[in-house]
Amino acid sequence: MKCGFCGREIPDEPGQEKSCGTCPGGCRKVHCPYCGYANPAVPGFLKRWSKKKDDKREDES
Amino acid sequence: MTRSNKESAGGDKLILVGNPNVGKSLLFNALTGAYTTVSNYPGTSVEVSRGFCEIEGNRYEVLDTPGMYSLLPITEEERVARDILLAEEPYAVIHVIDARNLERMLPMTLQLIETGLPVMLVVNIMDEAEALGMSIDIPLLQEKLGIPVIGAATARKRGLKEIRAAIAAFDRQRRAVFGYATDLERDILKVASTLAGEYRIDRRAIALLLLQKDGGVEELVRATEKEAGYAGVEAAVNAVVFERRSDLHLRISLERKRVCKGLLEGVVSQQGREGKRFAERLSDWTMNPWTGFPILLVILYFGLYQFVGGFGAGTVVDLLEGSLFEEHINPWFISVADRLVPWYWLRELLVGEYGVLTLGVRYAVALVLPIVGTFFLVFSVIEDTGYFPRLAMLVDRIFKKLGLSGRAVIPIVLGFGCDTMATMVTRTLETVRERILATILLALAIPCSAQLGVILGLLSGVPGTLVVWSVCIALVFLVIGFLAARLLPGEKPMFYMELPPLRLPQLQNVLVKTLTRMQAYFLEIFPLFVIASVLLWAGKMTGILENLVSAMTPVMHALGLPGEAAAAFIFGFFRRDFGAAGLYDLQTSGMLSAVQLAVAGVTLTLFVPCVAQFLMMKKERGWKASIGIFVFVSVLAFTTGWGLNRFLLFTGILA
Ligand SMILES: [Zn+2]
Ligand SMILES: [Zn+2]
Repeated sequence: MKCGFCGREIPDEPGQEKSCGTCPGGCRKVHCPYCGYANPAVPGFLKRWSKKKDDKREDES
Repeated sequence: MTRSNKESAGGDKLILVGNPNVGKSLLFNALTGAYTTVSNYPGTSVEVSRGFCEIEGNRYEVLDTPGMYSLLPITEEERVARDILLAEEPYAVIHVIDARNLERMLPMTLQLIETGLPVMLVVNIMDEAEALGMSIDIPLLQEKLGIPVIGAATARKRGLKEIRAAIAAFDRQRRAVFGYATDLERDILKVASTLAGEYRIDRRAIALLLLQKDGGVEELVRATEKEAGYAGVEAAVNAVVFERRSDLHLRISLERKRVCKGLLEGVVSQQGREGKRFAERLSDWTMNPWTGFPILLVILYFGLYQFVGGFGAGTVVDLLEGSLFEEHINPWFISVADRLVPWYWLRELLVGEYGVLTLGVRYAVALVLPIVGTFFLVFSVIEDTGYFPRLAMLVDRIFKKLGLSGRAVIPIVLGFGCDTMATMVTRTLETVRERILATILLALAIPCSAQLGVILGLLSGVPGTLVVWSVCIALVFLVIGFLAARLLPGEKPMFYMELPPLRLPQLQNVLVKTLTRMQAYFLEIFPLFVIASVLLWAGKMTGILENLVSAMTPVMHALGLPGEAAAAFIFGFFRRDFGAAGLYDLQTSGMLSAVQLAVAGVTLTLFVPCVAQFLMMKKERGWKASIGIFVFVSVLAFTTGWGLNRFLLFTGILA
């Protein structure tokens, strides 16, 4: 996924070591390793939907 | 290395590197065709594709590396990409970059050339750059860089022949050296001269990475130099870092940008347009204090005041809260409970004044969710345009004028998303005092997005209160920041961040982000709101709540507020937005005048951070500092509220 703050490509899943420790029941944020911004972790059904479109765009470029 | 012994291992290695989304994989596929494998890089979970190709009778193995932004790795993917470069002995490193963003991507080309690796550059996506009216003088760039440079559009199969020809004719011996400022060069030499061992990459590049505190390279040097030699290297690095007392990482990257600017002079020209493209001009305007501040106000007015305040907190809440819950759902719950539940205490727990259904669920579903929902929609639109990093740069300029430390900008701007997370990011600040200052400002004057949404929604319904609130919060922020900055000595660290291009928001991105945030938020608050109403119910049943409210009543009266407002402040202990929702109830039942609403809004915003933020403060700063901040913030919040009330009553503003 793309970081919403700095625009860089970052891992999709919340990193366990970098979890913020404030979300009850597991971290739902992906902390950008470059700028520290907490991106909300996209739930599965939305991710599949956005993946499809992304792939299409990647093919075009 | 000779060619023949490489052949047994599958041929000379061509390694593709570059940022994500520059068309690396397309080039990989075009070069290798069908004969590819994808496997995890040894010892990691990162996938690397390998394939083979034949050019003019020579066989090459092609590796597609994960995307990387710099030779200094931050993510695991980048670490793997770097390891491949250091370990695989490439015949050629093919750096693929996006023609539309030469200025952002060229610094990594410089870094690669510095390492002494055999680099060639593919300027990809030329077709789209041309469509934007850019023309790029590839031969001139090649001459300036001193390495092969090929313009391509791999998606259109353009440039592939030239890339193959360049690989076949590749001269590994040619390389250019780019000089930095003399003082920096002296430092680099100082460190490089202490390196005695054999390295696969240039000593100068190793020295640069050591000065930027790259852990992986430190390990490599420690292993190569052995303990005795490493002590000398470490001493040289520390001496430079100590002497500089500044951020070498930033200095080096700015220096690279300067060199790149020079390299691009005369290489890129924009046709058919006077000066810069509109997006670039707009981008500059957002960061210039004279134009940036009005732009910010326009965004706040239409985005927050009109849409969140008017539509979200007005129309949608009226519909859900006013019509649906007050007129239909709650009366139904109450009548069912009255018929079926004989015990008073249980009826109270479910549908009473602080009932789980009548208070907790109603607050969460009918009041807070529509407001933060519309807020998240606006937030996601703004986020998707790439405005936030520009806001950080704008704030930085204003900060500098105030003598504040520029780097604190990042946590402060992030605080508008969530203070808890921003408090954690203060970790990146250099001195303890800076961290404490940023933590105080976050706890005091930066509302998190949920609270901001609810407060704005609430205040925008009553003319004038929002202006008073904004001025007041900004004033407190500036005065405290200014005073604190006076207490912090000297140095002004530089702040710089790379800006992604400004663009139109994309509907799909915005929807995904908004829905994701709403889901995460709802999961987070729903249980908390239920727990809070249970606690309040318990407080009511035992009489503790009554005592608390009456204990706080004098404070409320001092602020000019009715005693009932105490409940909202007690709610605020649980969650920032819960407190604001309590205020909403008071206001809709007509118990607050405009002055009282403004005072309550200001005090509640300044007043305590939520439990999560407090716990994070404790984790980052320790008990002593966090309790100190808590007391300071509470005292200041109530003093400000008291003063504001006096001021508003005296001047008759809002009357
Ligand atoms: Zn980021
Ligand atoms: Zn978390």
